[in-house]
Formats: sequence, C-alpha cells, structure tokens
Amino acid sequence: MRRRHEEHRRNDGLIVNSLVDIALALVIGFMVAMPIFFENGIFVSAPGVAQAGGAVPSGSDIKANVFLANDGRILLNEITVSEDSLRVLLPRLLDRSVERRVVISNENLVLYDAVVRVMDMAKQTGASDVAWLRTRTAP
Amino acid sequence: MACVGLILVLVMMMISPMVVSHTRTPVDVPEAHTGQREVQNDISIILTKTGQYLFDDEPVATLEEVGSLVAAQVARDPYVLVVIRADKQCYGNQVLDVLSAAKKAGAARIVCATKKLTIKS
Repeated sequence: MRRRHEEHRRNDGLIVNSLVDIALALVIGFMVAMPIFFENGIFVSAPGVAQAGGAVPSGSDIKANVFLANDGRILLNEITVSEDSLRVLLPRLLDRSVERRVVISNENLVLYDAVVRVMDMAKQTGASDVAWLRTRTAP
Repeated sequence: MACVGLILVLVMMMISPMVVSHTRTPVDVPEAHTGQREVQNDISIILTKTGQYLFDDEPVATLEEVGSLVAAQVARDPYVLVVIRADKQCYGNQVLDVLSAAKKAGAARIVCATKKLTIKS
C-alpha cells in the first residue's frame, strides 16, 4: 500500500528530462541564430573628391576604380562591366596592385545599398582598403 | 539541469536585443557577406530613411551639429570608432555627407554598419 502510494507520488512530479531537452534546444537555437542578427561593419577610408566618371588618379600602382552610375551601370576603370564580370575582374586587378585598394564613387541618385554591395564585393575579392570618394560634377 | 538551461534561455532572451543592435533606433542597414564585428566603445551616427540624423540615439537637426558632436568625442578619444548606421534606402551621397562630416571632425576610424547576408542574392 505504502509502495503504491510512493510510486503514485513519483509519477505526479514534473518530467524534467523533456524540459532539459527543450531548454538546451532553445539555447542552441539562440547560439546559432544570434550571429545572423549581429550588426557588422565595413571599414571605409575617408572620403575625398574624385573626378567625375571615376577617373583613374595618377600613380604607378594599379588602381581599381569602380563608378556607379544613376542608370545602374558599373564602370571599372572607366569601362562598363556587369556585376558578374566585376566579380571576376576585380580580384585580377587587385592581384597586380600593391595597395590592393578599391576606390568607389557614385552618381547622386545611387542608393546606399548599391554602394555597400560593391564594397562588400571588393572586400570579398581581397581588397585591403575600400575608399569611397565624392564625385565632382564635370564642368 | 533544467533550471540552468532555462536560466540561460532567459538571460539570452534578455541580452540579445542589446547585443544585436548598437542602439535603440531600428535602422534597416544593408546586408553584406563581409564585415568585422567591433566590440568596443564607439559612437553611432544614424541616418534614417526619412533623412533624419541621430547621434547615439539623440536626434540632431543638422549635419554640422553631428560634426561638432563627433569632434567632441574625438577630442576625448582620437581613436574612437564612428559607426554609420544608415538605412539601405538612403542615397549614397547622403551617407557620404555623414562620412565627410565625421572625417572633417577628425574621425580616423569610420565603419559602415551592415548585417550578415543570409541569402545569396
């Protein structure tokens, strides 16, 4: 009688095993999902003033000048390229460059998102420095 | 064991909103594959979709004012990290103006805030 009463009391208790599983699953879920929501940052060199059309500044090092036009065109060293070919050409240029610097400039109606996309691409393709320059309207 | 697990979950739920974002102001920052996580004292300049400036969550009327606030921080710590959290729908030149103002104010380290790109576009 006493034994049966004790067994009954044991069965009434909280099932801890499943609770542990749920808690640990939640912890792991949080740990996996957190980095996705973290904010990161792309270091940008100080802005300066560039010539309109993303003209190549003088100097002996090979430069990668990316210019974003209002109509969506991307110019790499004054030659129109597609986003895919930019992804291919940029690392080739950077491999020959000492500074490995990508200079980005844009026209006035280009969205910030598009600029960051190019910055991201530059970083992905091995640029050590990303500079964002202001374009001066041609006289 | 269950208690420890639940406490961990509760702690994570409480601290995650603070850790995930630098500031209280929600901004839809652009997504990027690359990006460095900087865990240190920094100052954040927010540029909202409507073109409003906020300096460490406090609204600021003009860009000149932003510049003077940055200059005051730079005077205290010359290596302070300036985080620009701009909405992805802003024009590039608007963000560039903020960047120029920070540079003029003497900021040496400037970062454009992004969030991790989850789906390859």
